[in-house]
Amino acid sequence: MVRIKHRYLLVNILYPDTKSSHLRPASKPGDDVPYTVQFRRPSPDQVNGGLLMRLIRDGVVELFGDYGSGKIAGSLQVKYFSPATSTATIRVSREHYRLVWAALTFTTRLPRPVDQPCVIQVVRVSGTIRKAEEEAIRRAGLSIRRAEAAAKSSNVSGVATASATPLAVAEGDDDVDMFNGIEDRDEPGDVDDDDDG
Amino acid sequence: MAPPCPPPPPNTKKRKDAPTNSQVHPPKRHKPTDHRQKTRDARTLSTQTSNKAFQNGELDISSFVKSRAYEIRALEDGMARSKKALNRRAFQQVPKELRRRTASHNVKRVPKRLRERGKREMADDNTPTVTARRRKPTAHMRLRLETVKKLRAMGAKRKAAKDSVKVTVTDLNAPPSEPTVSTTTQKPTKSITAPIKARTPKVKRSILATPPLPKAKFRKRQVHKSWLPTHLFHAKRARMTPPSAPLWRFSIPVTPTAKSYRPTHRASHERGAVAWDMSFVSTVQLEGREGSLVGVLRGLRIGEENLVGRKGDKWREGRRVLEGFVYEREPPHHAIAPATMIWCVAPRDESASPQEKEKRKRKLLLRVHPSAFFQLWEELLRLAKVAKPAVSVEDLRFEIGSMEVTGPGATEALLGALWPSGPAPESLADSDTTATAIEIDGPPEKETVVEETWSALAGLTNPAMLPQNALLAFNVQDPRLHHPPRTIKLPRTDAEQHRLLELVASWPVDAAQKAPELFERKLRQAASARMPSQKAINRRKGLAAPGLYPEVSPKDPQIPVLLYTTSSPANTTGASGKSSPNSGSWTLLAPWKCIQPLWYSLMYYPLSTGQQPRFGGLDQYRQLRFEAGKPWFPGDFPGTKAGWEWECLERRRREGEWRKRPRGKRVNYERVEVGEGRRGEVGVGWGCDWERLLGGPPVVDGGDEGAMEVEKDGESRDKPAETEKESEKDKEAPEQAPPPKPPHLTQLPARQALAFLASPSTTKLPPHVHLASALITVHLTLLTRGVPQPCARIFRLPSATRHPDLRRQWLALLPSNNHPSQKRSGHKGPKHALPRLPKQGDLPSHLVHQRLAQALLEPARAGEEGYPECPGEEDLVGFVTTGNYDLGAGQGTGLGSLLVERVMGREEEGMGRVCIVRNSGTGVGRLGRWGVI
Repeated sequence: MVRIKHRYLLVNILYPDTKSSHLRPASKPGDDVPYTVQFRRPSPDQVNGGLLMRLIRDGVVELFGDYGSGKIAGSLQVKYFSPATSTATIRVSREHYRLVWAALTFTTRLPRPVDQPCVIQVVRVSGTIRKAEEEAIRRAGLSIRRAEAAAKSSNVSGVATASATPLAVAEGDDDVDMFNGIEDRDEPGDVDDDDDG
Repeated sequence: MAPPCPPPPPNTKKRKDAPTNSQVHPPKRHKPTDHRQKTRDARTLSTQTSNKAFQNGELDISSFVKSRAYEIRALEDGMARSKKALNRRAFQQVPKELRRRTASHNVKRVPKRLRERGKREMADDNTPTVTARRRKPTAHMRLRLETVKKLRAMGAKRKAAKDSVKVTVTDLNAPPSEPTVSTTTQKPTKSITAPIKARTPKVKRSILATPPLPKAKFRKRQVHKSWLPTHLFHAKRARMTPPSAPLWRFSIPVTPTAKSYRPTHRASHERGAVAWDMSFVSTVQLEGREGSLVGVLRGLRIGEENLVGRKGDKWREGRRVLEGFVYEREPPHHAIAPATMIWCVAPRDESASPQEKEKRKRKLLLRVHPSAFFQLWEELLRLAKVAKPAVSVEDLRFEIGSMEVTGPGATEALLGALWPSGPAPESLADSDTTATAIEIDGPPEKETVVEETWSALAGLTNPAMLPQNALLAFNVQDPRLHHPPRTIKLPRTDAEQHRLLELVASWPVDAAQKAPELFERKLRQAASARMPSQKAINRRKGLAAPGLYPEVSPKDPQIPVLLYTTSSPANTTGASGKSSPNSGSWTLLAPWKCIQPLWYSLMYYPLSTGQQPRFGGLDQYRQLRFEAGKPWFPGDFPGTKAGWEWECLERRRREGEWRKRPRGKRVNYERVEVGEGRRGEVGVGWGCDWERLLGGPPVVDGGDEGAMEVEKDGESRDKPAETEKESEKDKEAPEQAPPPKPPHLTQLPARQALAFLASPSTTKLPPHVHLASALITVHLTLLTRGVPQPCARIFRLPSATRHPDLRRQWLALLPSNNHPSQKRSGHKGPKHALPRLPKQGDLPSHLVHQRLAQALLEPARAGEEGYPECPGEEDLVGFVTTGNYDLGAGQGTGLGSLLVERVMGREEEGMGRVCIVRNSGTGVGRLGRWGVI
């Protein structure tokens, strides 16, 4: 069947600069928030789908000019954005998802009303929204376990949230570790089969 | 982006939907559901804001973990919801051929595997299902029911009164006991307890059979017609002939209700099977000495090589069937119909002297299409009277039914339905000692050779592989005992396949075959009478162990069946290059009353290739005949009486359809341009006007009624005052008597026609054949494009002397003439067009030039300026009786009839058998080639 083909980019927004964050670490002394948690902060509430769209469009215009902007204009859409976890799913036509990816990668600051340094990481490119969502679930489970492991290792008592997350159980614990600094299960030899745009 | 999803409001709608945003503002009552909004809602994921997730703007682990957990839940929920939004109701997933319109939502009517789901959905919806039993009758219905009740009570009373005074007829053997009990209340005048012996009815020969008396419930519907044994099956699933216009006094399925043109083609050629109930085909039995029977057949002008020659040896022994045209005995020997003839196997005892053998009576079955039955019947009676010693003729029309099965799965399906019964048990032999006149001879181990052969045919995909016109006769068990049928075991290994091939090659049935029991009236009736009731069958099935079939009981009926394959070799007649795989078909003859159970077992047989055999109607039968390039009787034989009647029927139907359309939207046959500036269709536009072809154009003031009709039709446009009269005329038009058949119009046999066409000067036609009105049946293939329709006119090429230019133009269209150098092998795209250019935009200029030159040399297409005009009426040679796009050949083909006189002698001109075909009511002629079939 002939149909319009899309790519769905699963995106994480990271805030490496702790100083400009709108959230401060927990006030209790000695309660050191682990680095994994600090690294994946929630986004400010002003960040929403519209802002992300603007960010991408501006980025593409800057990098690829009117050509790029025109190419992606028809298909670009933010399908999902959760400020609490800084996760987004962005849809773009299959032919031009690289333009969007490039614009995301070159972003260093969120635009005006937020105006905060950030790093945007494309963690998954998928042909269907379902696979992107599955990956998001997997990653959320992974980060939960990582946070719990970090909390346990620093002997922080009172974090009894493990029982509250029944959803993240099926995964093995082995993939908590990073692989060469990249938190991805993929084997290095893997070929991305939908990389045909 | 989307706001957090609120909890769903209390559900007021019928359907329990997934929580959607649209429910926050309940839609107005009569507003149709916005499906787009619904899917959008289903796909929106709920999200959490940071403020909510992280209280007091503090970043801590527990909030972090909770926010992730929330995300996971939201995503999973979203996935489930969007999947559900795409979901369809259970009854929407029913396969196409099982879909129904009324009560489609009723769980009891959806396939079993969907029933569980459907039940749940119905419960969710709170959909009420009403059964007929519990439905409150409407006011009108109530009145009818009350009448029925009253009538029933009255009937019961009358019956009781009648019974009390009835003379009781008892069998001699039965002990007289009860009859007096009922008469005790009456005065005992009728004390006739002395048994009256019921006389065995004498078989009436030479008398037309009457249809079996239908059940009282259905009797009023069968006054002027009869139902096929499978009428109820077909009436539910097919369009039948309208009650007011039965075909050949039968109610016949015309076409299945479901779309079936392509499925039928596929089932018959690639995978599956198609079956027809052919019980309407008439059967006649002749009985007498072999010499007399041969004499009768000779009177019907069956070929001498079959009657006495070696070619017909096996047929005369009763091991093959013969299909052939039968003709009238008296000159001019009009063709009657194609008939199938089957001899009963003669008992073989070597001791009998030749004189005894000569004296022995033999039987012969003649099967003929019902449209020609009466003509043949009269002819047979006449022949039987003059035969010496006498031949008795018996009409077996409602005693023997038949079906036909074709397709690669035909053999398999029949094997699943026909379970040979073992050798006759003792009890049956006992009860029929008086009845069976046939001797079961031969060594006992050879007795079951037919049954064994039949069972070993598993894996045969084309009955044409068997010896031509092979015949199998055996007894089968009641198929209802093995219902529902199960897929049979098919040969898988090479060795098994090889065994099948060996069997087909050796065909042991020829060596030993006992007389088919179907020829025995007593045995036929015994089988019909012994058929147990469905209730009894169900009880026996209930007693059987799970998964097993009920035990065979000696009281079971042994249904005598006769199976034969029919496949005429395509190459003998020299048909015009029709090289389709010649797939044979099985014809099954069985007692009339046994057809229905056999039919159900056949229809529900699960084929090994999936699905079940399809059933076909008359249209499907004609379609497959047409695709096989075989003429269909009576439609394709206008030279016969039955064919002429069919033509009149069709003409009237088409005319009715034509008249029904408004004047502006129908073809004006009077004014239509038919080439070379001439206007007006040749003859009537809605029929194959053979009268016109034979008689030539009418004189201007002529007495041709059809022409007058048309003239009036044309005039009335100018004179609106006449429209009243005209419309009256329109109404009465269909009721007028059909045009009489031209007296000399006749159909020439293919062989005679071929010989005559090959050398018209030397071959002598029989003196009685009126050459000017002898027709030949031909198969047409269009050489360029176009599809011939029924009623299309066939022209010969214009003569070289009178229209040399036109002739040259037409010959230039011949594909072999224009570009002999170009062999376009495997190029796609439109047929007979230039090869496609490569896709690149900038071609080298030489290619463009070459293309241009080719295009200039290419013959003109229809509608372009240089396309040749259609020849005039002086070159009209015949009409297309069946024409359509042939799915097998992938182009338009047709069957038609030509006047021999007009096409003979054109052979030596070297143009093969080229003709021009023009559809009725159009002006574009197409080049075609014809071949005698």
